[in-house]
Amino acid sequence: MKRLDKDKELISAYLDGELSSAEKQYIEEKIKSSLELQKELDDVKRLKELTNSSFGKIPESVYFETRLFANLNTKTTNKFNIRKWIPVTTLTLLTISLMAVLKFNPNLIDDIIEQQKSNLAGFYKENLQPLLYAADLTNEDIFNFAVYKELPLDAENKQILRLDNDSEGIEYFEIKNSDGVSNSNNLKSFVTALDLNDSEKGMIDSIINSYSDQLSALVLVNDKNSVAINPNIWNTRKVILADILAFAKRHAGNNYLKILPSAVAEIDNNSIQKYVADTKTMKANQYIFFTPDSIFEDNFVFDVNKFKIQMEELKENLAELNENRMDIKEFKINFDSTFKNHKKNFDKVKRYEIFINKDQIKVNMPNIAADFPEINLPDFDSIAFMIQEATKNLNVVIPPTAPTVVGKNNYKYNYNIVKPHQNKKGGISLDSLMLQRNTENELKNNEIKKKSQVKSKTNSGLIDSIMLQQSEELKKEMDNLKKELQQFRNDFSEPKKDKPKQSQDSIKNINNFDIKDT
Amino acid sequence: MDFEEKENMPQPQILSLDDDFSLIKNFIEGDESAFGELVKRHKEKVRNIIYLTLSNTDAIDDIAQEVFITVFKNLKSFRFESQFTTWLYRITINKCKDHLRKTKIRKIFLPLKDDEEYNVLGSINENTDVKQIVRNAIASLPDKLRLPIMLKDLEGFSYQEIADTMNCEIGTIKSRIFRGRETLKNILKPIEKELML
Repeated sequence: MKRLDKDKELISAYLDGELSSAEKQYIEEKIKSSLELQKELDDVKRLKELTNSSFGKIPESVYFETRLFANLNTKTTNKFNIRKWIPVTTLTLLTISLMAVLKFNPNLIDDIIEQQKSNLAGFYKENLQPLLYAADLTNEDIFNFAVYKELPLDAENKQILRLDNDSEGIEYFEIKNSDGVSNSNNLKSFVTALDLNDSEKGMIDSIINSYSDQLSALVLVNDKNSVAINPNIWNTRKVILADILAFAKRHAGNNYLKILPSAVAEIDNNSIQKYVADTKTMKANQYIFFTPDSIFEDNFVFDVNKFKIQMEELKENLAELNENRMDIKEFKINFDSTFKNHKKNFDKVKRYEIFINKDQIKVNMPNIAADFPEINLPDFDSIAFMIQEATKNLNVVIPPTAPTVVGKNNYKYNYNIVKPHQNKKGGISLDSLMLQRNTENELKNNEIKKKSQVKSKTNSGLIDSIMLQQSEELKKEMDNLKKELQQFRNDFSEPKKDKPKQSQDSIKNINNFDIKDT
Repeated sequence: MDFEEKENMPQPQILSLDDDFSLIKNFIEGDESAFGELVKRHKEKVRNIIYLTLSNTDAIDDIAQEVFITVFKNLKSFRFESQFTTWLYRITINKCKDHLRKTKIRKIFLPLKDDEEYNVLGSINENTDVKQIVRNAIASLPDKLRLPIMLKDLEGFSYQEIADTMNCEIGTIKSRIFRGRETLKNILKPIEKELML
């Protein structure tokens, strides 16, 4: 601060009478010698007068004390107002009550937590429906699942359920969008390659079909984004494959040995049967639930038969049925991003790893099939590969268009045969080329042998097994129709005696009518 | 005069019966009328301080009531370490500050009006009230400069009393009063002649 300002400050305090005698003496001498300080003294003096005169006295408050004591009485009365004590009292009472309850029922909190867990589990278990129902699983689908580990989840194959092992051997399942499974007609190729007869074909169909319901009940979903998967699905897949192979070995003999590697060919049928039996007796009610809140393992009984009955009832009303099927037609992948965090809260399920993106849910489940009894089975994955290679390289004989058969009295029958699907060949490796060549040669040799055998015995002219089967079916069909026609004629010829004119007209109409059987 | 004679002589009373400390002691001992006496003695001073601090008369009595209610509630814990008035005025100033704070907060939520632009001096003409101009000029000072000036010039407080009331050092008060007066002079400079400054 400048000296002048310091002196001015002293003048302000001087006029307020707040200076010590030394300061007072100092400033008085300064003022005498400085015009500026004299002016400052006059200004501040005037300012003090102005300030003092500018504020009048405020009117007296006559009832001030009366009002104050009235206020004080009110406040004093309210001093022990019970409202003030309500929160403290309530809290104390609640604490004491809680302590008392916990003293006599120490498991209360655990019970509540358990109940909440079970309520939550119940909530997510509601309306669980088999995910595979909408796919209308065919034997072809089940065969592909056994071999290629993929199951379509809908009729259009837009989504698939895939089971597999990653590079570290950890089992996982994933639900993902797909362009469609292309492995169609593999079962037919397999059957053809084994050269099974009709009854054997029927048997393998019935074996595969017997797993349809069992598979349906293994993956369940509902509208609450819960996925319940039965760990048995891994073993069931292996069982189906083992069952098919065991049957093939039993009935196909040499053909089986040709298309499958020696390691597989040496499977002991008894051990496979035991394997199948053991799997079927495993407890099937333990599911792993993946919900938006948590992952947990729990028992759940899904009654496939009851579900089927319900579906039958629904079928009575087609509109309702279609609506229902639409609901479960496509499983929506819309788990929220916090889903993966829940697994940290559960020690039991820490081993699961979940990967979710727009088109895919993948769940790693290490050691999921660890409880399975140990049976000396071959490496199924290599079998699957071999079957794939074998079926890929099979030459499926396309039969010629069935002839139009003209019967007596000009009745015409058109028998259209559905052509079997021919697989497109993908990338060709040296091994697959060799395999293809070998398989082609074997099949050609078989054809030549059969041609010579069949020619010498019958006039059918059809050599290939497929053609043979179709020709027999056609023959049977024609025989039946001939018999029916004969019956028809007889029926008409009898009433002719009673009403000749009417009957003749009827016969004319029938003669002019072409029956086409498609 | 020996020691016994000195003992028997009437001792000079340090506190008279009607001073603030005696009244407080009586109140603590259960005489509620002593509080009434304290109110009667100090209410006008308290009301004046409120008036000078707030520069308006609207809330004077309400705030004064709050001041004495607070005093009533806390009087039994009074520690007799300072003057009762110092304690009383500090409570008063704090109540005024609370009131000003609440008013400022309320103003935040009120819509601004263009015509509320504040001009300390306004338009000066022959009918202009000089006192009003000075009041406006003082009201425009910040609280920390205005209050010491008001307490000194209007209530006659000493610098020490002001420092105790405002809970700060005496040198600070001395400086604030000087700065407040300099600011006031600058505000009123345009009408220096009319004010004969």
